[in-house]
Amino acid sequence: MGSVPLSKLITLNTAAEFICFLVALIFLYRDKSAAWRVFIVYLLLTFCAETTGLVIRKVFLTANLPVYNTFVVVECFFTSYFFYTLFKPYGYSVKWLFGWLALFTVMYISELFYVNFADFVAVTASVMSIVFVLACMWFYYIKLTDERYEPLLQSAEFWWVSGALFFYFGSTACNIFFDYLKQNEVSAYNSSIRYIIFNVLNIILYSFWSFSSVCRYRQRKSFR
Amino acid sequence: MPISPKEIVSLIGLTSIVFLIAPIFLIRYVLLYNRKKKKHEEEKSIMVKTLETELLRTQMEVQEQTLKTIAYDLHDNIGQLLSLTTITLSSINLDDRAKSAEKIALIEDLTARSTKEVKALSRMLHSEELLSRGLFSAIEFELDWMKRSDRFTISFKKPAFESFTDDAGKETIMFRLFQEIINNIIQHSKATEIFVNLDQVDGALKLTIRDNGVGFDVDATLQRKTGMGLYNIKKRAAIINGTASIDSTRGAGSVITITVPY
Repeated sequence: MGSVPLSKLITLNTAAEFICFLVALIFLYRDKSAAWRVFIVYLLLTFCAETTGLVIRKVFLTANLPVYNTFVVVECFFTSYFFYTLFKPYGYSVKWLFGWLALFTVMYISELFYVNFADFVAVTASVMSIVFVLACMWFYYIKLTDERYEPLLQSAEFWWVSGALFFYFGSTACNIFFDYLKQNEVSAYNSSIRYIIFNVLNIILYSFWSFSSVCRYRQRKSFR
Repeated sequence: MPISPKEIVSLIGLTSIVFLIAPIFLIRYVLLYNRKKKKHEEEKSIMVKTLETELLRTQMEVQEQTLKTIAYDLHDNIGQLLSLTTITLSSINLDDRAKSAEKIALIEDLTARSTKEVKALSRMLHSEELLSRGLFSAIEFELDWMKRSDRFTISFKKPAFESFTDDAGKETIMFRLFQEIINNIIQHSKATEIFVNLDQVDGALKLTIRDNGVGFDVDATLQRKTGMGLYNIKKRAAIINGTASIDSTRGAGSVITITVPY
């Protein structure tokens, strides 16, 4: 077990996640929607998972795959549930959510057994990213076809989806070539292309999601 | 030539950049479309407001027209009847019983005619109520009123149903259009015959008003200030998604057709 200063555990990712969690906590803790309140818990779990991953890698100097393999499940269930709450007002049945989650679970367990619990479930994560990108596109399509005008620049849902789109669409190339990058990366992870891309994506994602929390707070206040 | 791992990593980086730029454009398009939607909604709300204003103005004009008709009728018809009654009454000589009886009979007749006129006027005062019973009844009533003057030979052909739309505002504007056209005929055409025809054509109501008057140059009238009446007819028809076609030649009368979808 190595001795690592606390400052080494604070990275761009963890800092962005923590700030986003704080913003969500401040602006959403009184929100009436369960999905938005669960969002706060999800951000806290994300921060905890990221920090745990860092501690395992830097302090215990072992592979942190189990953390990320577990977190993928949390990520998929929360994000899918959140998308479902966005589509629900437009008459989409809960069957879609359960159907997708069942498919995900089968894929996830199969891949875990396939890699003997010794590797990241990259294929499942890639499929999940593609499904979320499609969900984002579908959300835009619904907004475009909706005859009612909605000020999207102030819409919490719009910014939440846009953040998700940037993250899941931007990470597509990295996800698809995950195995290749893992084996052939020219430099160490901390200065690798994957690290840079995910840092950029995380900053974009958490900036959008923080702004989305602020928009949600404004919406709640203006409806009073 | 095999591609080196460094090149593949660079390619992945480049692809990721492209994948990052794409959502920017996508979001921009969505926002742009949304702005257009807002503009469209604003235009729609302006149109609704215009329609409401126009409807209010139309309702006031219908009332004004009614009051004008009543004023003319009071002055020219009932006023005359009552004057005649007064004169006849003052000329009665009670000593001449035979003549007095004759004059009293005349007064009785004049009073009965006055009562009839007052009743007709009272119905006229309820023209708005009449319109609520249906556009066709309102048009029929207005034409019946005109027939009393014996100035025109009026022919009216209406469809079997009473009303063409549930939208009372649309019917009011349609009725006002009819009134404006009839007013123009009375004031300017020197016509002796008026033909009014109401038809259903391909999901639209077609109101055709034809006269045998002196006619006019449509384009020239529309360009002149005096053409405001014609311009208003076109504008009002457009407000209820309809069209107004004005066809006239000097010396050959005119035909105005209003077509409104329902």
